[in-house]
Amino acid sequence: MLRYAVRRILQMIPVFIGVTIILFVLRAPGVLPGDPVRMITGERAIPESLREQIIEKHALDQPLHMQYVIYVRNLLQGDLGESYQRGRPVVDIFAEKFPNTLRLAVAAIIVEIVLGLTAGIVSAIRQYSFLDVLLTLSTSVLVSVPVFWLGMLFQIFFGIRLKEWTNDAFYLPISQMSSAQFPDWVHLILPAITLASVSTAYVARIMRSQMLEAMGQDYIRTAEAKGLKRRTVVYRHALKNAMIPVVTFVGIDFGVMMSGAILTETVFSWPGVGREIFLAVGQRDWPIVMGGVIIIVVIIMIINLIVDLSYALLDPRIRYGGGAE
Amino acid sequence: MSALLEVNGLATHFTTRDGVVKAVDGVSFRLDAGKTLAVVGESGSGKSVTALSIMRLVAKPRGNIVAGEVLFKGDDLLKMDDARVRDLRGDRIAMIFQDPMTSLNPVFRVGRQIGESLMLHKGMSRKEAFERAIELLDMVGIPNPRDRARDYPHQFSGGMRQRAMIAMALACDPDILIADEPTTALDVTIQAQILELMMEMQARTGAAIIMITHDLGVVADLADDVMVMYAGKQVEYGPSDAIFYDPFHPYTWGLLDSLPRHDVDEKGVLHPITGQPPSLINVPPGCAFHPRCPFAQEVCETDVPPALAVTDAHVSACHFSTDPEFRRGVAVACAVPEGVESA
Amino acid sequence: MTLRDPGNVTAPSRTLWGDAWRRLRKNKFAIAGLVWIVFIVAMTLSADLWVPATFGDPLAINTAPGASLAPPSLEHPFGTDKLGRDVFSRVVYGARVSLTVGVLAVSISLAIGLLLGSLSGYYGKFIDTIVMRSADVFFAFPYILFAIALIAVLGPSYRNVFIAIGILGWPSIARVFRSSILSVKENEYVDAARAMGASDLRIMVRHIMPNAIAPIIVYGTMSVGGAIITEAALSFLGMGVQPPTPSWGLMLSDAKSLMFAAPWLTIWPGFAILTTVLSFVLMGDGLRDALDVKMKD
Repeated sequence: MLRYAVRRILQMIPVFIGVTIILFVLRAPGVLPGDPVRMITGERAIPESLREQIIEKHALDQPLHMQYVIYVRNLLQGDLGESYQRGRPVVDIFAEKFPNTLRLAVAAIIVEIVLGLTAGIVSAIRQYSFLDVLLTLSTSVLVSVPVFWLGMLFQIFFGIRLKEWTNDAFYLPISQMSSAQFPDWVHLILPAITLASVSTAYVARIMRSQMLEAMGQDYIRTAEAKGLKRRTVVYRHALKNAMIPVVTFVGIDFGVMMSGAILTETVFSWPGVGREIFLAVGQRDWPIVMGGVIIIVVIIMIINLIVDLSYALLDPRIRYGGGAE
Repeated sequence: MSALLEVNGLATHFTTRDGVVKAVDGVSFRLDAGKTLAVVGESGSGKSVTALSIMRLVAKPRGNIVAGEVLFKGDDLLKMDDARVRDLRGDRIAMIFQDPMTSLNPVFRVGRQIGESLMLHKGMSRKEAFERAIELLDMVGIPNPRDRARDYPHQFSGGMRQRAMIAMALACDPDILIADEPTTALDVTIQAQILELMMEMQARTGAAIIMITHDLGVVADLADDVMVMYAGKQVEYGPSDAIFYDPFHPYTWGLLDSLPRHDVDEKGVLHPITGQPPSLINVPPGCAFHPRCPFAQEVCETDVPPALAVTDAHVSACHFSTDPEFRRGVAVACAVPEGVESA
Repeated sequence: MTLRDPGNVTAPSRTLWGDAWRRLRKNKFAIAGLVWIVFIVAMTLSADLWVPATFGDPLAINTAPGASLAPPSLEHPFGTDKLGRDVFSRVVYGARVSLTVGVLAVSISLAIGLLLGSLSGYYGKFIDTIVMRSADVFFAFPYILFAIALIAVLGPSYRNVFIAIGILGWPSIARVFRSSILSVKENEYVDAARAMGASDLRIMVRHIMPNAIAPIIVYGTMSVGGAIITEAALSFLGMGVQPPTPSWGLMLSDAKSLMFAAPWLTIWPGFAILTTVLSFVLMGDGLRDALDVKMKD
């Protein structure tokens, strides 16, 4: 297990180097069209003195490899640059917004697990039934829905129409700031469902196919030959095997939600990391965009590492370095 | 005395897109306590489905037991409600499967899997069941059973896994142990060990065994009775000695001829059965074996042969089983190619 | 075993594709998707002939009183937007943008992905390591953010949107193609062709490609849907197609501040995205079943 963890961490290093090279190339002078200073300051008029300062600080007049070394050194020291438009370090801006994104991601993951697993298991147990066909078609629809559109529809329906139809008796808040009359968690409902929509469909699909695969295995027949009830066979023997890939997906998805939330957060004006990046895009404030990207990549890498390690805990074949793969 | 298990006219059919598959079509036999019955046939002959039918594990909704009775100690398993069948399954009638690699659940410890039926049928606590599982692993010859019980299946070798499967099947001291090709997936050297272990366990627990195999050689020494199956039908059934030394059905002759024998003249020629087993959707009319049978006559193409009793306990489903002329003729015909006068 | 002339054992026979088509035809959902896509393509290609004349130019700003934000009516079936432009007309022309971006982006992904995937799968070793590790690096990025970062550098425009989406799509294609090459490569007829002295390129094109292509067809079909949704998202965020070009994502972006006052601005472009993407997904699903491709969901 320890060896596996070490190997896995070592594998992260080349990926991290690759990521930094790509992000570096995106702002290195001469590699792509575009002014490197602008990628560092954002597209806003800056005085010539500041321009020179930046060229010096980032060694833009030096050879590329030197610039890269400086770039990585700054990164490792947690220096992601500054937003020249707001005059604040990028790290501070994101540290402030991160808890909101995290809250939304946790809520979405809960929705995804509860709805996705239930739908997948029901589908698998009643394979080819009407319910199964309906659920499977629904998952296809869900993966095809643009999340931002779904968010807008939710707002129109639950926020406004429902309120009109019920004479203000029942409706849901459409953003965090919309009103103070709801308990905190109620504000999360619509954004969380929106953010979870696509992933819920994927979880249901994966769960269904994994369940079906598990239920076709020889060890299921062995379990039935012991005289176990069908329920026990399904929920003990099949489910535990089928869950392993699903847990992996949900884990990785949790990482992705930190970033995929850019659309949901924009639609619901949710003051998180994603919306911050969206606003920065609008203002062409590139340091925030680039800094946000690298923060999120690092978070995703760490979460993926944790997922891989817990995968090993779930699957004894990996834990004991056996025949898996 | 009533038999421990008596199967009469069992028929199991599968509905597929291409038609009805008569996987088992009229199988009858009896099994007495402590005895061993070998069920022999090519793949697709219906022997595994026979076993699954006895366990009532035929996969619904496609597979259905459409006729027959399976009397366990006089009670028909096919008429029992599901709960009662489950009580017997794993407790009184246990089963071992062909591929020990895939028949154990990869995410549960071996000891836990063995203990599962003890908790279910004997009401043991998890701890008691685990302790008993260790004893069982020891009994089937797993070294360091206390440590090994905590292992996962992938940490076992193939032979050890089949030993674990045997331990699992024997956990509740069943009356009947059904073994579906228990050695097919194993190395030849391990095969002998596993068979030996099964016989040893039978001597110890007194369980009756139904041994399913495609390899007549495997069962030569250990079966009391042999049933030969072909295309879902029972073609010959009788005491082991009768099947091996005095078989009546041409298919059995073919099986025996294709079996390397040590007890006959070295010059004996192998006569492999030519052709392929029939598709179970289009079973040939008449005797299903007639297209491959070197002695087939007109009647074989039209009439389904009845099971003819050649002695009290020996039946053969060939039109000519009770025709002494036919057997004499065959003996001559077989002898001619070798250029030896028949006695 | 006899060696057959490798020239004769190339593509899966016509009956394989015939079988696939027969199975696909039985899949109601896939056919519905196909019909819808054909319908949309026909609508948008023929649009010049009838749409502007009947409903108005998609770009024509109408400042006459009452022309702006008119609810759906016979004259304007999907209503008009803030600038008095006909929404139906814009939705029909928006299909051009979506489908063009979808097809071009996937073409770029296919070109890069097939090249790198085949090098990686066919030659293995060092090239394989480089390509697959690069794919890992790409996968480390959250998709939409990577696209935003790319466009931040390239500058937001119609062309740069499909370039960015295309570049980001290659690693998945390369992985899928690499693994099917690895499984095809082991077949005897490939060894036979090699024994006959066929060149690498010939083996690749004549023997491996035809047999490894099924997963690519499935994946490519689904990717078009994915590219369309990504274009919409980027345009929605202001990092895609720029106004006044009618793009579904851009229309939704404009609709955002008006979604309560003029819900038709929100409903129809989104509906167009949903049905188009869904059609590609259903077709991909159908092709997967018809071609019997094993894929992880």
